[in-house]
Amino acid sequence: MLYFEEALRVLMANKIRTLLTITGLIIGVGAVIAIQVLGSGMSGAVEGLLGGLADNSFFVQPNVQQGDFQKAAMHEKDLADLRIHVANVSDVAPLSFVRQLAHVGHGHSPAVLFAASAERYATTPFAFGGNFTPDQVAARATVCILSYKTYQKLFPDNSDPLGKSLHVANRRYVITGVMAAPRTGVLNANFGGDVAIPYTVYERDWLQGRILFGAAIYVIDQSQMAQTEVAVINELRNLHRNVKGIQYITFDKKTFNQLVGAVFGVLTMIVGLIGAVSLLVAGIGIMNIMLVSVTERTREIGIRKAIGARKGQILAQFFVEALLLCGIGCGIGLALGLAIGYGVNAFAIVKLTGSITALPWLRATLIAVTFATIVTLAFGTYPAYRASNLDPIEALRYE
Amino acid sequence: MNNLTRAIDVRDVTKVYRNGAMEVPALRGVSFVIERGEYVAIMGPSGSGKSTLMNIIGCLDRLTEGSYRLDGTDVSALDDNQLAEIRLKKLGFVFQGFNLLARTDAVKNVALPLFYAGLSARERNSIAGARLADVGLGDRGHHKPQELSGGQQQRVAIARALVNNPAVLLADEPTGNLDSTTSEEIMRLFGDLNAGGRTIIMVTHDEEVASHAKRIIRLRDGLIVSDERSAVAAGTSPR
Repeated sequence: MLYFEEALRVLMANKIRTLLTITGLIIGVGAVIAIQVLGSGMSGAVEGLLGGLADNSFFVQPNVQQGDFQKAAMHEKDLADLRIHVANVSDVAPLSFVRQLAHVGHGHSPAVLFAASAERYATTPFAFGGNFTPDQVAARATVCILSYKTYQKLFPDNSDPLGKSLHVANRRYVITGVMAAPRTGVLNANFGGDVAIPYTVYERDWLQGRILFGAAIYVIDQSQMAQTEVAVINELRNLHRNVKGIQYITFDKKTFNQLVGAVFGVLTMIVGLIGAVSLLVAGIGIMNIMLVSVTERTREIGIRKAIGARKGQILAQFFVEALLLCGIGCGIGLALGLAIGYGVNAFAIVKLTGSITALPWLRATLIAVTFATIVTLAFGTYPAYRASNLDPIEALRYE
Repeated sequence: MNNLTRAIDVRDVTKVYRNGAMEVPALRGVSFVIERGEYVAIMGPSGSGKSTLMNIIGCLDRLTEGSYRLDGTDVSALDDNQLAEIRLKKLGFVFQGFNLLARTDAVKNVALPLFYAGLSARERNSIAGARLADVGLGDRGHHKPQELSGGQQQRVAIARALVNNPAVLLADEPTGNLDSTTSEEIMRLFGDLNAGGRTIIMVTHDEEVASHAKRIIRLRDGLIVSDERSAVAAGTSPR
């Protein structure tokens, strides 16, 4: 198309001007796209961080901001009570861990040993073996599940670990599962701990009256989660009724996601606003440079009109030029935005959390490009209109 | 002669410019007929109204009163886009300053009216190439205007003016920016074109240039003072 070819020639003849004109576009489009991509990466990261928190469970713990939260500390007996007395609770696992040296044969590695229920890894992929069975938990079977990282440390030859014994202090646990390699994020790996044993075994072997960080509560009916959370808190306050004004807090995936979502929503809005403003400024810049261009090329417009160009054809020429500017700006902005979005995602979010999320580059691009195009057309209309309405005689006389 | 065969038919044309409250008459009732195939020079001192007349004939400007038929079409009542269409299809312009698009090579300059007429790139290039060859620049198609001499640039402009095969070729001081040798060349080209049947109207203040035309219309103060066929007109075109 000749309009396109001519527009390209004009823009190429003024490279620096072109670049300066589209700077605002680049920043605007880049910001909008980057924040969209990052937003999804972040929510994916939250998902990854909360890998330990199943959809049908929530955490409960003393509110550490209260004065004497030591007195509110939860013990094993509280958990036993919750199992029996709160409706809709299928299982209660202590939130507790110990640091120990774990041995397998001659190999050893420091490991974080922690309590887990059978439901904790119900949906986790395994590299070897599988999850605890409810029977194993109930029967206090001395079994354990290793994180992949721990498996690699203890089995540098990558041999089959199933049935092998893991020694921790004077205890012995049979390895029945190794979680699949990750999700390699730093945060994720640490959050998950190294060696999981059934909480029943953990309570017997390691807890010994120690206070708990809290408990993971598993519910039967997820739709009753909120009510169950209230019931658990009430039960705990009842159990600790000798301590005045005691407080517990619960924590489930949904509320956490909402919290992060709200924080990130504000951030998205701010960056989105910056993007929108810079696109607006970019629009004014495009209009300005097009007005200059129309003035500079008055004579050319006169020639074209004398030759027989209709108004619509002059209009089209300047529109194409504006759109080409917009296209170049969007292209560079897109590349920049995606580079920032994907870069931050790859080097920060994925590294830290191991969360790999499908990033919505197409949606982000559509939003940014649509907005940029609308702005360009809105601000490009007046200069193009002015060019198309020049009087050919005046225009031809213009020096 | 039949009205429909007339290239230009101007009757009682006046043109008044408004400058605030002041009315400045540029043309005060001009009538003439130019038949197809004529070669006419319009002459007159500055302020005589010859540029105004040229603009009206060229459909760049509207007359105030009177009537103007171009190639059988009454153009006095047309809107901007219809006038553009007339300029595109029925008129070819040659200017003093060539008025080629810089940064655009000769073929593309010549092809521009074809683009506005809606032809495909392939058709445009082949027709434009042929017209360039007609004016002796077949091998300069890909030169930009600044790479061509003044005479060559004016030839490109002539090729562009003729590319839509217009009824009338309008030239405004076509040799004003050229030296005498090159002017001769351009005048010879005009002579050839006229010999080939082309209607040419040329505005000039140069008697030497005007002498190439077969008819000279002289204006003064917005009126025609003389309209005569020159001596050369009787003979063959100059070679």
